[in-house]
Amino acid sequence: MTAAFTKLKSHFINWREWELNPIVIKELRQAVRSWAVTGMLLLFLIVLFITSLGFLVTQSFEVNENMQLGGTMFSSFVVILAGASIFFIPLYVGVRVAAERQENNPDLLYVSTLSPARIIRGKFLCGAYMALLFFSACMPFMAFTNLLRGVDLPTVFFILSFLFLVVCATNQIAIFFACIPASRPFKVLFALAGFFASFWVVIPLVTDSFEFMHSGVGTMMADRDFWIGVLTAVVIGLAATGLFFVLSVALISPPSANRARPVRIYLTVIWLLGGLLSLGWVWRMKEAQFILPWEIMTFVLMMFALLATISNSDQLSLRVRRTIPQSRLKRLVAFIFFNGAAGGLVWAAMILVATFLLAGQITLAFPKSITVSGESGQWFATTMAYAFAYALMALFIHRKFLSRHPPKLTGLIAVLLAAAWAIAPSIVLFFLNQLSWKSVEGLQLGNVFNVASLRDVNQRIYHLYFAFGWLQVMIVINAKWFVRQVKNFQPLDRLAQDNPPPMLK
Amino acid sequence: MKVQVKNLRKEFGKTVAVDNISFSFDSGNIFGFIGPNGAGKTTTMRIISTIEEPTSGDVLLNGISVCEEPELARHAVGYVPDTLPAHADITVHEYLDFYARAYGLRGKKRTQAIEAIEEFTNVTGIREKHLKALSKGMKQRVSLGRALVYDPDVLVLDEPAAGLDPRARVELRELLMLLAAQKKAILISSHILTELTEICNGVVIIERGKILETGTIEDVLKKSAPRRTVAVRLLDAQNAQLLKELLQTPFVENARDVANEIHFDLNGDESAACEILGGLIAKKFKVIEFRQTKANLEDIFMNVTKEGVQ
Repeated sequence: MTAAFTKLKSHFINWREWELNPIVIKELRQAVRSWAVTGMLLLFLIVLFITSLGFLVTQSFEVNENMQLGGTMFSSFVVILAGASIFFIPLYVGVRVAAERQENNPDLLYVSTLSPARIIRGKFLCGAYMALLFFSACMPFMAFTNLLRGVDLPTVFFILSFLFLVVCATNQIAIFFACIPASRPFKVLFALAGFFASFWVVIPLVTDSFEFMHSGVGTMMADRDFWIGVLTAVVIGLAATGLFFVLSVALISPPSANRARPVRIYLTVIWLLGGLLSLGWVWRMKEAQFILPWEIMTFVLMMFALLATISNSDQLSLRVRRTIPQSRLKRLVAFIFFNGAAGGLVWAAMILVATFLLAGQITLAFPKSITVSGESGQWFATTMAYAFAYALMALFIHRKFLSRHPPKLTGLIAVLLAAAWAIAPSIVLFFLNQLSWKSVEGLQLGNVFNVASLRDVNQRIYHLYFAFGWLQVMIVINAKWFVRQVKNFQPLDRLAQDNPPPMLK
Repeated sequence: MKVQVKNLRKEFGKTVAVDNISFSFDSGNIFGFIGPNGAGKTTTMRIISTIEEPTSGDVLLNGISVCEEPELARHAVGYVPDTLPAHADITVHEYLDFYARAYGLRGKKRTQAIEAIEEFTNVTGIREKHLKALSKGMKQRVSLGRALVYDPDVLVLDEPAAGLDPRARVELRELLMLLAAQKKAILISSHILTELTEICNGVVIIERGKILETGTIEDVLKKSAPRRTVAVRLLDAQNAQLLKELLQTPFVENARDVANEIHFDLNGDESAACEILGGLIAKKFKVIEFRQTKANLEDIFMNVTKEGVQ
């Protein structure tokens, strides 16, 4: 604690020696020389100029004053700015990262003394600076709209701030996808998917901006609920951006690093904060349904986390083993948060069970709440049990039959098992029932997707029994492995150094 | 700086790229790392440079483990890969400046370090040129400059002479000798073995992931070719008579005609060579050249790997 404080103190005392992140400097130097950035910026300015000119020329012959001209022009500028910054900047930043992360020849900056977090921060900041550049280029045009009336300054600042945060978030998502160790064709597919996904961001963003302009942010600012809503949205956005940041850092960290630790810690923290936020909303609105977004998000995140967790290697690297604490209590906590499938399973199970119990308690505390019923709890428990059963089965299959293959295959096996068991019986039933899909809505034990599509909801209880029964079997057949993992989770016992190899002089 | 490679093993799936190798070297020396393609040279070098992680074993740079403390080890090692820098939209100076910043050099110290390196690697004249516009030789210099900009104690060079013209090769050789004189430990791999012979103090010969021979060039030579070869040239080209004579001379083995010269293996020390030369002159052979052929890395390499090279 004292050391950290001393370090922080010396950091601030030596403020004259502060320097920008080297990645930011390099990336911005490259960006200003890049034809892609210069060309896009010029095109952006030309479009803005032509749009302004178009509006002014068509308005100049009007006899009556148009009191909405500023607002209409601003709306157009928001569309252009949102389009340019959400489509172009994440694409540029993502392509640059992907080019450096080519599997066969990773750039040497990833083996410099820069930490992975500093590298990702640099890339992220570069995107943010570029967004500022585009926003600054747009600023004179937007300032002009204010002079023409039809839009108030708080609305302008609010929309621009919101747009800027969205651009930063999309930048971070693009960096995350660029960091995924995939081959070039896959990365091209990611870029294409990202391009189409951007429409899902731009369209609601522009629609919401129009909504804000129509109602005027200035008039809403006095309302406390408005700020609570805005803060909630900002906090959720920042948490999502942070999650992609942590995941990107984990992806570029060396395989021997403790990649799981920061991700699991971050997810635990945002799970706790998200729970508190939802609880705040439940308390304020006296409605248990506000716990649902937290419950659903936790479930979705944990499903992805479960896949990543079971893909962890059982063998801990020297670097990780070196940091295993000696104290038994600390080691127990470390087991849950450090690399390794066994600890990860415990961690995911703990979070999911805690979410389930808390959500149940909250539902019970607000009995008049109409939207949250016991059904959602049953669905949650059944799907969770199925997910763990599939995960454990995949671990067993990998360990027993495919142990020569890398552990990252385990996640894929789990997905394939779930998909195969969902598709195969459905196809058989389709043909057995005279080409009718109605049978899909019938009871199919073991099919995790059938839990949600059951015709007779009362049959869901059979799924629950089956899922828990299966899970117990899987726990039993994996128990030996689990115990071995716990036993192996020991601090590094340094063996006596071997005789050094002969020295060449 | 002491570099210790200890029981290093690296597997890529079922392929064993490096199979339990151990060797060590220290500062002020240049070590040649030679072997056929796919022998495991690049993998070993990448492990020493903390780019790759071993399946087992370790590399210690003055006691710092590249497995346990790669961040710390990176300060000590400069790596020049076989691929050259190809960043878009960046000049030579900016490239070096970026790596100097990345390795924590600040303010004046950074400026001085970059200037010194630009001068040392002779890239001052092209510092404002874009990387993509450089020739292979120039890129190689920039790559070397990048590895040296933070003054590492160990330098690992993977095929630095590949594709360079003769002048660039000579210049590179001179640079390396200067660096060795600055007490840097240098490990260099190359297929141009004659180049290495002139600058290396020691050699590690590797094949199929295993070390075949290691030691100083003299030691390896003694081990792999214990008998010295002597070449004799006559003024009047009476090679047939000379051959006949040599076959009857003590200490001489395997006498043969090689490109108008007679070569034989000397099974004795230098006084034996003296005796042979005296005998030839006494028997009126017009000897204009009597020299011991200098074995080079190429000979050693061919000797050591003659059974294994595919």
